[in-house]
Amino acid sequence: MFEPKIIAFYCKWCTSAGADLAGTSRLQYAPNIVGIRVMCSSRVDPEHILNAFKEGADGVLIGGCHPGDCHYKSGNYVTLRRITLLKTMMEDLGISADRLRLDWISAAEGKRFAEVVTEFTEQIREKGPLKKESLKEEAV
Amino acid sequence: MKKIGVFLCHCGINISATVDIEKAMEALKDYPGVAHIEDYKYMCSDPGQQLIKKKIKDLGLDGVVVCACSPTLHENTFRLTVKAAGMNEYKMEMANIREQCSWVHKDKTVATEKAIKIIKSVIEKARLDEALDPIEVDITRKAMVIGAGVAGIQTALNIANSGYEVILVEREPSIGGKMAQLSETFPTLDCSQCILTPKMVEVSNHPKIKLMTYSEVVDVSGFVGNFKVKVKRKATGLDWDVCNGCGLCTEKCPKKLPSEFDQGLGERKAIYRPFPQAVPNRVVIDFENCTYMQSGKCGICQKVCPVKAIDFDKEDKFVEEEVGAIICATGFETYSVKDIPEFGGGKLPDVVDGLTFERILSASGPTGGEVRRPSDGKVPKDIVFLECVCSRDPEHYLPYCSKVCCMYTVKHAMLYKHRVHDGQPYVFYMDMRTGGKGYEEFYQRAAEEDKVVFIRGKVSKLYQDDDKIVVCGVDTLSNETIEIRADMVVLATAIVPSKGIRELTKLLKIQIDQHGFLSEAHPKLRPVESLTAGVYLAGCAQSPRDIPDTVSQASGAASMVCTLFANEKLKHEPIIVGVNEDICSGCGICTVVCPYDARKTNLEKKLVEVNEVLCEGCGACAAACPSGAAQQNNYTDNQINAMIKAILGKGG
Amino acid sequence: MEISYYPGCTLKTKAINFETSALALLEKLDVKAIELKDWNCCGVMFSQSQDNLMKQLAPIRTLIRAKESGRDRLLTLCSMCYNTLKRSALFIQENEDKRDKINDFMDLEETEYFGNEIEVVNILTLLDEIDKDKLKASIVKDAKDLKVATYYGCLLTRPKEVAIDNVEDPQIMENLLEAAGCKPVYFPFKTECCASFQVVSRKDIARERTRKIVDSARKNGAEMILLACPLCEYNLDKLQKELHEEDSTFETLPVLYVTQLLAILAGVDPEINDYSKHYIDPRPVLERKGLL
Repeated sequence: MFEPKIIAFYCKWCTSAGADLAGTSRLQYAPNIVGIRVMCSSRVDPEHILNAFKEGADGVLIGGCHPGDCHYKSGNYVTLRRITLLKTMMEDLGISADRLRLDWISAAEGKRFAEVVTEFTEQIREKGPLKKESLKEEAV
Repeated sequence: MKKIGVFLCHCGINISATVDIEKAMEALKDYPGVAHIEDYKYMCSDPGQQLIKKKIKDLGLDGVVVCACSPTLHENTFRLTVKAAGMNEYKMEMANIREQCSWVHKDKTVATEKAIKIIKSVIEKARLDEALDPIEVDITRKAMVIGAGVAGIQTALNIANSGYEVILVEREPSIGGKMAQLSETFPTLDCSQCILTPKMVEVSNHPKIKLMTYSEVVDVSGFVGNFKVKVKRKATGLDWDVCNGCGLCTEKCPKKLPSEFDQGLGERKAIYRPFPQAVPNRVVIDFENCTYMQSGKCGICQKVCPVKAIDFDKEDKFVEEEVGAIICATGFETYSVKDIPEFGGGKLPDVVDGLTFERILSASGPTGGEVRRPSDGKVPKDIVFLECVCSRDPEHYLPYCSKVCCMYTVKHAMLYKHRVHDGQPYVFYMDMRTGGKGYEEFYQRAAEEDKVVFIRGKVSKLYQDDDKIVVCGVDTLSNETIEIRADMVVLATAIVPSKGIRELTKLLKIQIDQHGFLSEAHPKLRPVESLTAGVYLAGCAQSPRDIPDTVSQASGAASMVCTLFANEKLKHEPIIVGVNEDICSGCGICTVVCPYDARKTNLEKKLVEVNEVLCEGCGACAAACPSGAAQQNNYTDNQINAMIKAILGKGG
Repeated sequence: MEISYYPGCTLKTKAINFETSALALLEKLDVKAIELKDWNCCGVMFSQSQDNLMKQLAPIRTLIRAKESGRDRLLTLCSMCYNTLKRSALFIQENEDKRDKINDFMDLEETEYFGNEIEVVNILTLLDEIDKDKLKASIVKDAKDLKVATYYGCLLTRPKEVAIDNVEDPQIMENLLEAAGCKPVYFPFKTECCASFQVVSRKDIARERTRKIVDSARKNGAEMILLACPLCEYNLDKLQKELHEEDSTFETLPVLYVTQLLAILAGVDPEINDYSKHYIDPRPVLERKGLL
């Protein structure tokens, strides 16, 4: 079975805390994801995401606070705008836009965190590996 | 190359049961940058910390990666450890292989592989970490307490008695909260008002406490030590500085309304004082129900006021306050009987909730302390108390235990019996939870001396039949269904957070749990702090609790505030985003995304300048900068890209 | 509006007057209920057995027929049919593997059913959706504040996943009848179980239930009990008669399907109701109100 490689960026305040709660609640989820903890989802530069795809990731997940709940007031709105824009460009680069997922997961949503991770992993598994040939490297 | 020490924690067997520590060490020992690797059963324990310190000194390490639990838990612990060994604390990184690895995967091979990836990525980050120094900031030594129930009152008094100024904000016209409504308190049966009102008066007379009742927090900005809070002072329709609280207006006002303080059983006027012992002793006009405000006719209160305080001014006023710490003590409400259709949905007058029964029992209540039922004023001879109404019922209502209902129901049954000697109280319970000093004895007394009948089981339905309330329940000990024809029923409805808490937590940037209660920074070790520095919690806003617990926690929160205020300067996290002046072109794109106005374009120098104190370190600007001039300290593009590579097996 | 209609066994026999009155009422309200072709037994009672999927075949096959009709909603009159069909649909929606197994087993069917294509609608829900002003406009007879007890029984409100309204205090029937000029009375036993199939083996239980339910309705001033379930109708109606025969002081209350009363009020010929199927004759009460 194809085991996708997925990189995740979690904001420190909500999604990473939600992931910790999934841990303290002992919820099991797909192990394909490895997270990078940043202070806010808005720290994630679209270049980081493209870089991850270039280096071999099959999917990228960004987790931030729910709209209105951002620890930094408006960081998640900035993220939403960036990701929306990036998704429109990804197709041109030969990466299907649904390999990138942005989700709001709060510190209280350990269960949801586990569900999102498992669901996204399955979705990427179904899509199969991101093929090098379809990725226009020079564009990245 | 940097010399990094990697320290793997077993966390007892929390980590080592699913992550093969030996295998991980084997895979990591030759990873570039790793100068030393070692494991220990409990890295956070004193020997564990000593081990790290020793290796830093002996091997001259200039970077440490602790592979253990979530940084939320022990980042601070290990920062202090490395600092004590002379290393800059920002060169210590934690790899979370517990919450985000060993606890969420069962397969040892898979979990070990993932742990190795996580650790490699964190090593990459550590390799590029720079030494940082915390930024020093001044502190405003003044606290704001939101909510003036017993929790808020206690916190305010403790802080004020330590010599610091306190602003106590309360939504209602008077302080006192729910405790002011209670009759007697368990397990000593001393009168709630008798123990609370002296504290209320102390608050109002305290030179260090500024009282803002009938006020709400509408905006909060800033950070620990330096908050700016905007408070709305709701219009009262009169000048409180002139009013002397004589109460003539409330006597003469012709408009009668149900009193909120008496849970709708008693009456108040359209101009009113919530209860006689209100602090401050002032009245407010209920604009929505005032005849003068609605039709322009009446104005009797204005005519009779001896000091001419009434001006019918409807304009809310806003004030800004600067404080260094905020305590959120917004209290609770009880689940509304209206929302419980199987118990009559609020349509049966003789089915009341616990707070309403407190008013019925209270000497200052609508019946003067005589137990009379609301429908016809008769003294109920058979009375049924239901516990766990909407609590401990995940299928239909709320999963949690409301904690205080067992004890206050025992108290209700006991006080009822003390007033109605020939009456019979019945209590339906699921489990009697009487943990607390003197609590179990109190319960035994109710059963033995006051002959309260305790029935273990739940009630499925209540209905009116003639002038009786029929209680259909089950006794799970004898396995029989029970029907009691009662004169009155009291529901111990669940404790829920007070309305508006969601909006307030958004302003304060603190977290709430799935039921809307405030989340503490750590359930055991940091129970009175929120995850936002400088914001503390007290009372039932955090979870259901009784008066002794509330008061001790309130004092705990106050002591945390005093600890904060005892610092000369505050340290601000240096994980800020600076400007590389050689690269910056002054385009100003970063200034647009900054939520704190920390970045300003200097048009003359064609540069962006950063106010380090204002920068909270979200990093939004770093991602926006087109040239790479804005880099977040220890979260640089190079570090993040190196972490990505490491996770995808291309590191080193 | 057009809607697929699933009658079920009772509606063609014992409860035929439920069907005739409901269809006539719907016609007055411009709803065309089109009976499914080739329908079979609903399965009678949702099977609690998680593994014996055989018991899910009957309801699922019915839903396949509904899917093939091309309409996305399926009307049921009988509350048992409603409960079984709706829960079976939910069951396969939530258990994908079982859904696949069932579809594999029925591979001769040309259509597969996945669980959410058809919305099973009870007659009360359908009537509730109709604008109350429209309903009022269709009422031509004055009910003269006829005091009614609205009885839901268990199947319409339990389990809560398929409840047509609030589980503990449903209001749909009250709202309909109020709009039609009746006066619903306080009736705490409206969601109490009628004892259902116990009537076969433990008639004593069923009788006690009937006594309790009818007593409560009468005590609160009801002149009539209205309901929407053939089995409840049978129990409350037949057992009342038996109770009265045994003890003449037991006062009976006529029991009607809610559609029977609404149809009369909407001007349908009262004879459509076939009163011979009732054990307690409702005609004296209807006559008193001038509704016949």
